[in-house]
Amino acid sequence: MKARAIHLVVNGEQASGEVMPRMLLSDFIRDDLALTGTHVGCEQGACGACTVLLNGRAVRSCLTFAVQADGASITTIEGIAGPDGELHPVQQALRDRHGLQCGFCTPGVVVTACALLRDDPQPTTQAIREGLSGNLCRCTGYQSIIEAIEQAAAVGASTSADGTVA
Amino acid sequence: MTTTTDPVIQLEVGSGGGLIGASTPRKEDQRLLTGHGQFTDDLHVRGMLHAAFVRSPHAHARILGIDASEARALPGVVAVVTGEDLAKLTSPMVVSQEGAHPMVMETLPTAKVRFNGDPVACVIAVDRYVAEDAAELVDVDYEMLEPVLEMHAATDPGSPLVDEGLPSNLHTRQTKSYGDIETAFANADRVIETSFSSQRLTHVPIEGRGVLAIWDKGRAELSFHSGQQTAHVTRTLLAKRLGLSENQVRVISPDIGGAFGLKIPLFREELTVAAMAMTLDRPIKWAEDRAENLMASNHARDDSVSIQAAVAADGTILGIKAELWADYGAYAFYPPSYMIDVVGWLLLGAYKIENYEYTINVAITNKCPAGTLRAPMAIVTWATEGTVERIADELGLDAVAVRRRNMIRLEDQPYRSAPGYLYEALTLRESFDEALDRFDLEQFRRSQASARGEGRLLGVGLATVLEPTTYGSAWYKASGDEGSGHEAATVKVEPTGAINVMVGIIPSGQGYETTIAQVVAEALGSTTDNVAVRLGDTHIVPYGMGSRGSRGAAAGNGVAYLAALTARNKVLRIASHRLGVPIDSLTIVDGSIFVIDEAESRLSLADVAWMCYMDPTSLPATEAPGLEVHQTYDPPELTFSNASHVCVVEVFRDTGQVEILDYHVVEDAGTLINPMIVDGQIRGGVVMGIGQALYEESIYDDAGNNVTSSFVDYLIPTADCVPNIRIHHVETPNPNTPRGIKGMSEGPVQGGIASVALAVSDALKGLGVTVDQLPLHPSRILGYLRAAGAQDD
Repeated sequence: MKARAIHLVVNGEQASGEVMPRMLLSDFIRDDLALTGTHVGCEQGACGACTVLLNGRAVRSCLTFAVQADGASITTIEGIAGPDGELHPVQQALRDRHGLQCGFCTPGVVVTACALLRDDPQPTTQAIREGLSGNLCRCTGYQSIIEAIEQAAAVGASTSADGTVA
Repeated sequence: MTTTTDPVIQLEVGSGGGLIGASTPRKEDQRLLTGHGQFTDDLHVRGMLHAAFVRSPHAHARILGIDASEARALPGVVAVVTGEDLAKLTSPMVVSQEGAHPMVMETLPTAKVRFNGDPVACVIAVDRYVAEDAAELVDVDYEMLEPVLEMHAATDPGSPLVDEGLPSNLHTRQTKSYGDIETAFANADRVIETSFSSQRLTHVPIEGRGVLAIWDKGRAELSFHSGQQTAHVTRTLLAKRLGLSENQVRVISPDIGGAFGLKIPLFREELTVAAMAMTLDRPIKWAEDRAENLMASNHARDDSVSIQAAVAADGTILGIKAELWADYGAYAFYPPSYMIDVVGWLLLGAYKIENYEYTINVAITNKCPAGTLRAPMAIVTWATEGTVERIADELGLDAVAVRRRNMIRLEDQPYRSAPGYLYEALTLRESFDEALDRFDLEQFRRSQASARGEGRLLGVGLATVLEPTTYGSAWYKASGDEGSGHEAATVKVEPTGAINVMVGIIPSGQGYETTIAQVVAEALGSTTDNVAVRLGDTHIVPYGMGSRGSRGAAAGNGVAYLAALTARNKVLRIASHRLGVPIDSLTIVDGSIFVIDEAESRLSLADVAWMCYMDPTSLPATEAPGLEVHQTYDPPELTFSNASHVCVVEVFRDTGQVEILDYHVVEDAGTLINPMIVDGQIRGGVVMGIGQALYEESIYDDAGNNVTSSFVDYLIPTADCVPNIRIHHVETPNPNTPRGIKGMSEGPVQGGIASVALAVSDALKGLGVTVDQLPLHPSRILGYLRAAGAQDD
């Protein structure tokens, strides 16, 4: 195997690297770019903790090779809040509603919820539950996460983030 | 530094600033929401190597030889080590307890593997990819042995031995008897028998286990960065097993991505990584993958309970006999009686029963070892409440009436249970009544009957939960287990008035950085923003017993509160001296010291702190310089909380699916520090109980292969399959703990399992089905219905 050069945009900034073809996008983001907010919970594509936006689509970065992201634009959890740390409405709502406990699944929940609200700004409760059903959380019992996303939708989260996210 | 261990006189003191009891937003959230939390696998240091483990593909096999030459030759591989190598670097773990033979666990096995996933060798390499490649190249020569896979058969005399150092796979069998059980059964109108079995399952924190071990050769010190619930105890064990002095080891627990009782033991993989970091003088990281987590971390809950209840015709329970079994798997991470014995002494639940006898049986088998999972006694509430339901059914009585006839009321307390535990300020009966005030059972019975007329199966489950939360050192002494239940805190008011607090409990989602700031700010008349809470670093934090059980609130927050009160007293003594007013005329509000009834503050907390450090000659002659308090607190032998759960389900006859339609919890955890956080613990705990009742199971095939090593096969609850949970709090303070705090977080799991299982049982009532085995997944429900010939009626 030979390393390949990749060039991409991550959270609005240029990034590049030399990666082996088998390197997972999640490992590239965490180890090479030192963006450790993207968490790896299963490497089986099931838990959703590693979710990032790849050209606007919510994807499992543990099921994506880094080379597949060559030329792409990626948003990770570090790119969701404002530059001075101001929380995105989804993040603020999760804080308000106690939608996180240990916080390990939270980056994937935030990224998934941002994509959900962009595609469906006023989702039904059932649509939120289904939309989040691929994000495993062992702490909260989900109710507070669902209520937080409802709150974010109510304050118009889909239109208040920057263009990349919403 | 002021040191005291006698907090009793201070229990009633407190500024009552309204911070205790406020749903303060969490201080932890900003970093966790923005991707700036720091978990073990996020750590990176120069020169770091990565570990991967070679694991047994067999349930039971002798190790004839290990050939690692091909693995060692792979570029990037630094070392491959086996049990033989590690035996020279570490000492084994020995778990012993009265009434059982000691069990020895080598760091890695040298003679045989005992379960599918047992680690046999460790590869250290430049990155995880290479380490895993090399692990595939390690050639282990096995001689297959017959696996022991069923706990009852495991104890047959002819069974192969899982541990050849023991005389039998029956690790312990112990009987305890209270009252006059023979007379109770002789006087009974009826003896009613029940049984309940729970499946093997596992903890599933979304972050698995992991460690980064760094050996500082110059200082001869080991830094062990790892999400550990009991960091100080881990430090003690690491030092012993590595042959180091305890002051050469520092355990630092970073953010933990869920623990649930998994991250308590010193695991063999973690010890291996530490030993190799020392040997190679290189930092080494190991982060387990999900397959390892599901197959080879700890399992739990493989328990069964069989009960005989001696009852009078009016539903009075005269006595109980219980036979308890637990399958502890291949090694002893905990003393043999530790987890299942709790089921024994809790089994009488909310009920006044004087005559009681129980026997525990612990078997060892060729499965992943058992550990403590949030509510290690979780089956107990289902067993108790299920038995009460059965008694009512068999006697033709109303189950609510049978409960009320036998329940312990507030006015009966202090009450000592047959096994000797003191119940105080518990609202078992009163919270049950409250739950039935909130849920109209009669209305439900009418809806249920009319639904049944349309062929629909609705059911309700009622479960009253008795949750032991906080174990004092007296409990450990009495139980014969090594350990203590005390906790330690240091409160430092720094020269500028900023407050640092260090406590020996370690968070994995419970929000301690917030709740401890609340109790300390309340005691010191400060604000939560002014209090920084530092946990999990054994170089900074005083030796504490960490987070296990539900001790965080009463023990951990309690000791921080007491230490802060000691600091407050010093502040007020100094202020009294300075201002020339009596100490009881002073109070502190938001960091300003007031003479009560005066509008203007004359002195600030920061002024006093500055004096303590920078101008100590101005202090009263009796006061030492500095404003730092170290305090320990040993809670009562055992503190309980209680709750009542009500669950409504529909069972779909055609598919066997169970849907939860409604869920209520009435919780009495005494004084609440942060109700928002308590609600989060209730909801999360109930959903973990739902997972056990309906979905989760660690399954072994007939050869002992674990066939549930991914999230495709091992199902935990998801957002689309759990209900909203309605919560009501009753707050009855405990008279013997700081501020009346009781604590909670395991009871919701007990109640979740019980109320869901009983609701399914209720839905199937009259169809000839006995619900006695979890999980109640569709195929089991369909099996029940088919066996009863009730699927198509």
